[in-house]
Formats: sequence, C-alpha cells, structure tokens
Amino acid sequence: MTLRKWVTVIALLTPGLGLIIAMIGTVVYMAIAQSFGLYSLLGDSEFSTEFWDKMLGRRAYYKSVKYSLYIGTFSAILSVALAYPLAIWLRKPFKGSLAVGAILKAPLLVPGLVAAFLFINVISYNGILNQFMQWLGLWDEPHRLQNDRNGFGILVLQTWKQMPFALLLLTSAVQGISDDILDAARDLGAGTFARFRKIIAPMTISAMQAALVIIFIGAVADFSFQVIAGPTNRQSLAQFMVFFKDSGRWHDAAVVGVTLMGAALFGSALLAVAARFVLKGGRLK
Amino acid sequence: MSQSTINKILLYVLIAVCALWLVIPFTMAVLWSLVDPAEPWTADKLLPPVMSTYRWSHMWANSSLKPALINSYILAPSVAVVTLILAAPTAYAFGRIQFPGREVVKLIALLPLVVPGFVTAVFFTSIIFQMGLHASRFGAILFAHSVILMPYAIRILTVSFEQVRQDHIDAARDLGASVIERWKVAYLPALKPGIMAALLIVFIQSIEEFAIAFIVGSPSFVTVPTLLFSTLGQDFVRPNAAVLALILIVPNVIMMLILERLLKSANPSLSSGKG
Repeated sequence: MTLRKWVTVIALLTPGLGLIIAMIGTVVYMAIAQSFGLYSLLGDSEFSTEFWDKMLGRRAYYKSVKYSLYIGTFSAILSVALAYPLAIWLRKPFKGSLAVGAILKAPLLVPGLVAAFLFINVISYNGILNQFMQWLGLWDEPHRLQNDRNGFGILVLQTWKQMPFALLLLTSAVQGISDDILDAARDLGAGTFARFRKIIAPMTISAMQAALVIIFIGAVADFSFQVIAGPTNRQSLAQFMVFFKDSGRWHDAAVVGVTLMGAALFGSALLAVAARFVLKGGRLK
Repeated sequence: MSQSTINKILLYVLIAVCALWLVIPFTMAVLWSLVDPAEPWTADKLLPPVMSTYRWSHMWANSSLKPALINSYILAPSVAVVTLILAAPTAYAFGRIQFPGREVVKLIALLPLVVPGFVTAVFFTSIIFQMGLHASRFGAILFAHSVILMPYAIRILTVSFEQVRQDHIDAARDLGASVIERWKVAYLPALKPGIMAALLIVFIQSIEEFAIAFIVGSPSFVTVPTLLFSTLGQDFVRPNAAVLALILIVPNVIMMLILERLLKSANPSLSSGKG
C-alpha cells in the first residue's frame, strides 16, 4: 500500500472507527483511572488503591459479583439451550415455519423495559398466572412471584428477551449445514443426539459462541430488569455501580464498573471456551 | 408417526404457547391501559368493570409524556442521520478498500457492543462533567447514542458497499460519468436498502435506549423509556405504565415491518437494476 492510500484509509476511518476508539477508549480509561482515585469530581485527585482495598473488603461487593455472574451465565445457557432445538426444527422450511419463526423472534421487537412491565403484569400477586394456578387448584392462595429471592423471574425475562437473538444466529448457522453431511451420518447409524453432538454442534459452534458471548454480556450488566423484577436482597453489578454514582461516590462506582467490564470480558471468554470444550468432546481445537 | 405429522403437532403446540407468550401479556397491557379510575379492576373480575381512554388522556395531559415524546422523536432521527453520516466513510473503507489489518479493525468497530451500556453511560457522564459540558444533555446523549449505535450502521453499510458492482462503476466511468454521477448511478441504487435499514435500526435502538438516556439525561431530560422506568418504580400505577409501554412499542412494530420489506428487497442485482 502506498502512503497516499494509507492516508485515505485513515481519513475514511476517522469519523467512524476513530470516534468509537476515542469515546470507548476514554470511557474505559476514565473508569480505570477513577477507580484508582484519579480525576476526582468532588475532592483531590491522587493515585490510590484505597478504593479497591475498601471494596474488596465488602461482602455486598462479592455478593453482587456472584449474582451478576449467575444471571449472565444462566441467561446465556438457557437462551442457547432453548434456541438450538428450535433452530434445528426450523432448518428445513415447512408449511407455517415462517409464521413460527416470526412469532419466536417477536420479543426482539419488544424494548427491555416493556418486556419487564409485561412480565410483572403477568406474574403479579393478583395477576393472571396466580389466578390461573388457583383456578387449576394447584395453589390455594396467590404466591408472591415478583422479585423472587433466587432471581428466577430475571432468568425467565432474560431468556424471553434473548432467546430470539440466539435463534436468529443459530438458524442461519444450522441452515448452512448441507443435507449430504447429515444424511451420511444418518446412513452410518448416527442417532438424533449423535448427529447433534458430532455434526451440528461442532459446525455451528461459532454462532453459538457469538450468541453466548453477546447474551452473557447483556445479562451480566443488566440494570433495568433487576431493578424492576429482581430480588430485593441482591444487587446486580450495574445496580451497585449506579447506587455509588447516585451517592456521588464516583471512585467506588469506578471500582464496580471496572469489575463489571472484567466480569463481562473474562466471563464471556470463559463461557465461549467452555462451550467449545464441551461440544468438541474435550478438545479445544 | 411421520415427520409431517410431528411438524403439525409441534406447530400447533408452539403456536398455542407463543400466543400465550405474546397475546396474553399484550392483551393484559391493553386492558390495563383502559381501566377507568371510577372502578378498579380487582382480581375477581375477568375484565375491567369500566373501560375508557381516560388513562391515555390523563397521561397525555398530566405526565411528562409530551416532552418525553418530543425528546425521543427529535433525538432518534437526529441520531440516525448523524450515525449514518459518521459511519459511511468507515463502511466504505471496510467494504471497498483492501488494506492490511482490515479484519482486526472491523472487530474493533464492535467495541461499543462489548462494553456494558451502564459502564459507558456512567463514565461518559463523568467525562462530560470533567469537561463541564453537562448543561447540554441533548447534545451529549445525541453524541453518545451516535457512537454506541455506530457498529450497527457500519456493519449494515459495509455489506451494502461490498455489494456495489465494480462493473457498474467501471461502465459509468467509461461512459464519462463524473465522480458524483458515478455515485448516483452505480453506488446509490445498491446502497439504498442498506441506508434505509441502517437508519431504521439506529432509530429503533435510539428510541428504546435506556442506560445513556437515564444516566446522562437525569433528572431534567426525559425520554419515553426513562419515563416508563420512573413509572415502574416507587410510584407504580399499573394503568399508566401500560399506556407508556404501548406507546413505546408501537414505533418498533411499524419500523420493523418496513425493515422486513426493505431487507427482502436488499438484493444487489435488484436494487442496482441489473441481473
């Protein structure tokens, strides 16, 4: 490449990619710097590990990390586990498959906050689910389902919202597998599970990893679902960070923010590697 | 049992489940938005005893709905246009120029999707406080939305630029077309569906974006999602929240229907008029 061409490329990349790098880079730098006492908005700025030391001594911090990782991991796994059989079923078009695909992907159109509202409406104390269970005679009285202690409501909500995304990625990946390969496997005596484990899973692993990573990052950093429908005795990392920020404790917020970025980065990488390891039968390559 | 019978049974089961999955929650939201305050909707009644559009007019007149709608509907199209303008040159470079490291920088362009939204929101706020720019909340949100939604526009436009056919460009040049004319006849027809798709996706994402609008905008700048969030909080009034939830979802459905049509027509040979 000539110098002139390089200059052209850099000039073209500056307003788009350049701006992305500048803003996200500054945001990440600001979070890290503030977590070490720099760029103070209220007092003196000086480098210190005090905020990390104090935070690492708080039980609420570990609880929050554990809770966010739990929500992220299970949301990603549940969404992908549910999307796989559906994607395989929809691999070949059949009468009505387009309608099924559209219905399944509909939650993609629903903004997160609306989804949370619809959900708490259905599961509320006097809501339709409680009424239905009582009508069936399974429950004698209404149960308190909203803000459940284990965060199951959040997992349902995340799966409802994120499964269509996993389905979108997996459907196109599964459709890319040719019939010849699957027919050959069947002729060689491979059953449904063996065909999934030995052919479909390894051939769609990249799409699955992408789905796992993106869903994990979204769920691990969840704020709105947690505030609206999550357990009141737990705080997600994003909620914990906003709590510190609202109290003007920017450095503590920064420590939690950096932790959140780390959790999103390492957690998603770990999940992607683990998925490859499991689906490739204990091999990483 | 044959495959088609299994498909049929599965299909009916799934349609029933999904109808429950979608129809019940939305019907509940519509019914709640129509509950008249004259008589509350109690658990022993299947339908609200008195239905009216009172909540809709009440929310319109007495909440921040008007400014929220104005803010959201000025912000989102502005973000869409700004993002498109900023993303286009990068997408052109990704789609039409071969340069070393192109695949790596394509991945770097996805950065805003990887950094959690609330981290971006909180520390972007910190930066604008440091720079003393917190007075202009609209401008700050416009800028932040444009950057965090840029990966979508870059991705879509890159594909569109890749689909522009070199023989069309060459033919236009051979026939003496100037640079602008070449853009008009060779690039624009192939780019059109991508441009529309990018505008719509960014518009929808900006309308429903919550983290930045909430953190950067609070307390004075309201958008529809931040208003909905506040009605779901301490002063939770179910019928009012139902009105807002329905208002928030309508543009998504309309835009997505348009998008579906656009993506179907996003065939390069069709859009460039040549086979």
